[in-house]
Amino acid sequence: MKSCSPPQATPASPSRRNFLRGVPVVTAAAAVAPTPAIASTGKHQWAMLIDVRKCIGCQACTVSCIQENAVPEGSFRTVVSTYSVKLTDSAQPAGTYVLPRLCNHCDNPPCIPVCPVSATYKREDGIVAVDGDRCVGCAYCVQACPYDARFINHETNKADKCTFCAHRVDAGLLPACVETCVGGARIFGDINDPESELARRLKEAQPQLKVLKPELETAPRVFYIGLDERFTGKVEGQGTLWKPRNLPHA
Amino acid sequence: MNPNIVETINVAREVAWLPWAVQYFFLIGLSYGACLLSLPGIVFRRPGWAGISRLALLGALVCGLAAPVALLADLHQPGRFWHFYAYFTPTSWMSWGAFFIPVYLGGLLTYAWLAFRPDLARHAQGGGKLAGLAGVLAYGGHESRGALKAAALLAFVGAALVALYTGAEVAVVQARPLWNTPLLPLQFFITAFAGAVGLALLFNRFSVRDAAANRRMAGVLAATQVVALAVGALWLALGVSGISPVHAQALAEVGPSANWQLSAAWAVAATVLTLVLAWKWPGSGLLIGLLALHSAWMMRWSIFIGGQEVPKTGAGYYTYSLPLGPEGLMGIVGTAGLWVFLFILITTLLPLDRLAAGNTDKAAA
Repeated sequence: MKSCSPPQATPASPSRRNFLRGVPVVTAAAAVAPTPAIASTGKHQWAMLIDVRKCIGCQACTVSCIQENAVPEGSFRTVVSTYSVKLTDSAQPAGTYVLPRLCNHCDNPPCIPVCPVSATYKREDGIVAVDGDRCVGCAYCVQACPYDARFINHETNKADKCTFCAHRVDAGLLPACVETCVGGARIFGDINDPESELARRLKEAQPQLKVLKPELETAPRVFYIGLDERFTGKVEGQGTLWKPRNLPHA
Repeated sequence: MNPNIVETINVAREVAWLPWAVQYFFLIGLSYGACLLSLPGIVFRRPGWAGISRLALLGALVCGLAAPVALLADLHQPGRFWHFYAYFTPTSWMSWGAFFIPVYLGGLLTYAWLAFRPDLARHAQGGGKLAGLAGVLAYGGHESRGALKAAALLAFVGAALVALYTGAEVAVVQARPLWNTPLLPLQFFITAFAGAVGLALLFNRFSVRDAAANRRMAGVLAATQVVALAVGALWLALGVSGISPVHAQALAEVGPSANWQLSAAWAVAATVLTLVLAWKWPGSGLLIGLLALHSAWMMRWSIFIGGQEVPKTGAGYYTYSLPLGPEGLMGIVGTAGLWVFLFILITTLLPLDRLAAGNTDKAAA
């Protein structure tokens, strides 16, 4: 497994803790002015760092994402994949491995060129988004995403995916999954801001920083610390996948 | 599969390209294959090919008219189909396809009209069902060789573009190793052409039962099966040897699955059986015709639906069960129903026996 190249810029975005410190300020200032540190001005380049070692697999991110984005029942924009892994160097027979998954907001996203109507696009701040007014629901992007991050939303009949909670980020808020992460495993921020915690953490973690499916050269904007090599691509293991039942289209 | 890792929590992504897509790729494949099969007898006037080519052109027309409906139905926002033309995106094969389809269908309709005008006029004179409509469509019933050749050329170019885009559209999807092989477009083309021969065999069997035409088509079908087996063997060799990493990855993805092993064995057995029957018992036109059509459909079903059962990140395989509603069985039945309707409509204006007879004088006799 090769490590991803070091992020060139430094981040700016707030970790959850730092963000919470600023909450009173944000709250008070909300009616007055946007918070410049995390407002989308076009100069930001949003990214996420996931410290797998801190994830406890509670799925709070999964639930908060569904609630924040009104994700239909049976569909998911993010989920914490969980695996039982046999241990050979321990007295206990098996351990649990968790891996939060979401849209990787790739810098070289395979979903964009295939879209026949240019409905999928990359915003100036790096977020890969879908223009719902233009999307024809052909699902070509769903096929092209190597991370299984996209799906057809059966309430809107359009392509759906994680947006990094763009509506919240634009309003100076953190993505819902980051805000609710119990273990502080998800760090969101601007890789263009050298003062941000994200940039600092990315820099510190450089030797062990990884991305999913690096061989595809999609240049993900979601980075991982503690990512086991066996889980970077399609997991070779026994599948016991859950499938929603008694739902239309399921 | 690594038995030391068990996936305990994940989600199954449902099939996003529905059975409608299978129907589209099947029908448009039959259409462009049949269009090619129509050329020797109608355009080049090869002896012994007239009936075959006229039946093939009928097949191209019926399948070509039904296919876009299936494609439209596979869109989750069918009312927005015009976005394809308003927001052309040159990086997307699907976007190009939206322009290739009308080129092909425009050429095909013109070509078929010019080829069948005298027959329409004859039907109008005969006073059968829809004779009035036939008379209007015949518009004099003249034969115009120059115009016919030009329209056939346009249809041929359109058919080639459709064959190219339908293959490339799927083959460029790097996220699905099973699809992402350079041989896939060729495999689509070969099975489509074989299916078109199968369709013409059925039309012949249910009309004039021309034994010579049957033998000729059986020979062509046998040749397609040899090519299909050769390309399949090449695919496997590239995958097993590891010479081609994309083929090796595709093989590694589906090789361990018992379902896929069965599908592969089924496909090879059906191809070999078709080859042997077509070669040794060319008179078995009905059976080999059905086998060829079955192989063309099964190949697309396996690639599209089976391919989407392979998770991109999760362990194991998703399981697909065919829903009974419009997103599943009704899509297949509905497309078949539309095909039957178009077949009845067109063969009412252009009776199958008359087309199969080859030249119009013989048909009139």
